[in-house]
Amino acid sequence: MQEFILLMIGAALVNNVVLVRFLGLCSFMGVTTKIDTAVGMGMATTFVMTVSSILAWAIEVFLLAPFGLGYLRTITFILVIAAVVQFTEMVIRKVSPSLFQTLGIYLPLITTNCAVLGIPLLNVQSKHNFIESMLYGFASAFGYSLILVIFAGLRERIALNEVPRLFGGPPIGFVTASLLALAFMGFSGISAN
Amino acid sequence: MDGHLVEGVARVVATDGDTVWLEPEQGEACEGCLSAAGCGVKSGGSNRRLLARRFSMVNSFDGQVGDRVVFGISERTLLRASALAYALPLILMVGGAMAGKLMTGSDGGSALASVLGLAAGLLFARFRAGRLDAKGELSPHFLRYAYGPGPSEHCDQD
Repeated sequence: MQEFILLMIGAALVNNVVLVRFLGLCSFMGVTTKIDTAVGMGMATTFVMTVSSILAWAIEVFLLAPFGLGYLRTITFILVIAAVVQFTEMVIRKVSPSLFQTLGIYLPLITTNCAVLGIPLLNVQSKHNFIESMLYGFASAFGYSLILVIFAGLRERIALNEVPRLFGGPPIGFVTASLLALAFMGFSGISAN
Repeated sequence: MDGHLVEGVARVVATDGDTVWLEPEQGEACEGCLSAAGCGVKSGGSNRRLLARRFSMVNSFDGQVGDRVVFGISERTLLRASALAYALPLILMVGGAMAGKLMTGSDGGSALASVLGLAAGLLFARFRAGRLDAKGELSPHFLRYAYGPGPSEHCDQD
């Protein structure tokens, strides 16, 4: 159990997908203007990233590795992610059309999020088993969502303040993101993983 | 209605007695997004996704086809819907996988338990969303009319 907890802390905080691995930066800057949209996007991405990690593990173990098809890994995982997004959209629509109307906008955005592809590839590289792949995907996505919400909160506060004209908009966003990345570097002392 | 509102702009595309059907409008920034084609907002793209995102409201504001209206949904509703649709099935799936691993010690048992957890989460989400929907808590509300041209309308003045 301890190894799972360390794996999750490492994935969420120490090797944060946005601030350390620099994945998913497009949505990081794009959907963090308001906290509520950041939470919605974060939850949807967490769901898709975790399910994608599980399916990618299964495809790697039962199809790509036994038949020596490793060169098809990237394109196969892209197809898996697109299929998971479509499946999630269908399930949400079937489970509750009202929920789909409220939340449907976030799902297509996940397809082009490189963090969702990066995590299954990192799982393969680290030779994780089923439970480790799932927890690594879940914790990485949690770390991504955490950063999204923190950054959205900071941007909401920045929007209420007077920023020098040259720094207005994306520039002050990037300055804030770099300071946040520096703060998260403090976690790097926790684990060597 | 409690809490702050998340606002959006939609266009009335059909009326049916006391009900109006609306299509949400996207902001201009959406056109520049890499996923614009996926959302159906890119010019000339498929309208399938926009059709899928049509929603209805009670026509308490005497809306006509072509009217642009600002609708709102409370932040609390959005958070509750997100938790119901994504967080609950996910937590049950991860919890099921962990329980399966502890009980059977194998990847197969863990995978089976995670699928069962996910199915249970989706079933509970369906039940709970049905109850919220019946109370009208997941429905957007009319706030005011939106004036001016929409993002896809251009005014050519020669």
